[in-house]
Amino acid sequence: MATERNLETSKLEFFLDVPFPSSHEATIALRSLDPDKEPRRGGISKHLSVSGSTLSVRWSADEARILRVSVSSFLDHLSLVVETMEVFGPPVDL
Amino acid sequence: MEHLLSDPGRQSDTLQLEASQAFNQLAAMTVVIGFEGSANKIGIGIIRDGEVLSNPRRTYITPPGQGFMPSDTARHHRAVILTVLKEALEQAELKPADIDCVAYTKGPGMGAPLVTVAIVARTVAQLWGKPLLGVNHCIGHIEMGRLITKANNPTVLYVSGGNTQVISYLERRYRIFGETIDIAVGNCLDRFARVIKISNDPSPGYNIEQMAKKGTRYVELPYTVKGMDVSFSGILSFIEEAANKMLRSGQCTAEDLCFSLQETVFAMLVETTERAMAHCGSQEVLIVGGVGCNLRLQEMMGVMCKERGAKLYATDERFCIDNGAMIAQAGWEMFRTNQVTELEDSWITQRYRTDEVEVTWRD
Repeated sequence: MATERNLETSKLEFFLDVPFPSSHEATIALRSLDPDKEPRRGGISKHLSVSGSTLSVRWSADEARILRVSVSSFLDHLSLVVETMEVFGPPVDL
Repeated sequence: MEHLLSDPGRQSDTLQLEASQAFNQLAAMTVVIGFEGSANKIGIGIIRDGEVLSNPRRTYITPPGQGFMPSDTARHHRAVILTVLKEALEQAELKPADIDCVAYTKGPGMGAPLVTVAIVARTVAQLWGKPLLGVNHCIGHIEMGRLITKANNPTVLYVSGGNTQVISYLERRYRIFGETIDIAVGNCLDRFARVIKISNDPSPGYNIEQMAKKGTRYVELPYTVKGMDVSFSGILSFIEEAANKMLRSGQCTAEDLCFSLQETVFAMLVETTERAMAHCGSQEVLIVGGVGCNLRLQEMMGVMCKERGAKLYATDERFCIDNGAMIAQAGWEMFRTNQVTELEDSWITQRYRTDEVEVTWRD
């Protein structure tokens, strides 16, 4: 987890890595969390990716307040996904 | 004797045939689970070919004088959704493997609660390896009403805290004949309840309905029908302004105000519904949505229907008020016509009009 000011774009950036038991579960989390986009002109962008069994999220925002709201709501959603996996997982093999 | 001896082969053939027929029937059955959480109710229901197997629900109830805010409502839904999901499966006596499709509310509604519920629907759909299906909330109400009442092709009055629409089906769309031009009728009732601090438990509308029964004096309120459309914000402003003054001066009681508000807004709804029926030559009315379980509204609509020789269909609070089974039922209809929603297209939307959906399951 890290926040920094990008000196070239003067945007605030935030990085988050979340480890999952497998790449399958990391991908499920990505596909559950990715569909709802940030507001188009909200001064913030968020990018999700999976590498191995790690879900990585990268934010870029104009203002700290907007960044904080987005990160905090993402963490709420992430913990709901993890809880759902704990109760109703593991994923079936297709 | 000889006949019987020659029979065993045929008998076992028949049995085999029956068994395979039963198997085919079972295999052809479609089980859909529906997730609803677009406002202050979170509900998960399971439907198997028109049969409601389970439909548990929780309501986020705020203190008197307060409405429900999106982020608090989402927090409520997050806290209970997995418990409600367990209940839905247990009451239906089903395992995830028995489910064919996971339906959820795509919209319309409050953003934060919609996202919360969609996220769990997406996650279990992937964990269980099942297709996902985004459902229009309004279509859910209509299809659940049609299922429960067996109304064939009714003029629909959809009245709730967020929506007020008069709808008629024509050529693969549920078309909106009239609607509110500002706030929903249920929102008008809820906000009036807040002004005079009526309890939100079990719902403000229910408590207004009970108090209205004791009202005796009709206080005249603005009556705002504009063609096929209705407006409630002026009525609300008027009563917000007048209520506490009139109560303090003893001009009327809170019960009188509840009575007067109900009579006025329900008369407006009955008028526009009747006009839509006349326009479409319809002889059936179906009332759906949370306000639809108000018995006084049903009674007033019943009088109008009787005068026209039409039939009124309504359901009780289990299916009128937001619930998971209604999303499962609309999902069932959609799934049976081969609709599914890809995960990347499963974003929620706060605005989603009833007539945006192509009704692929009706002639």
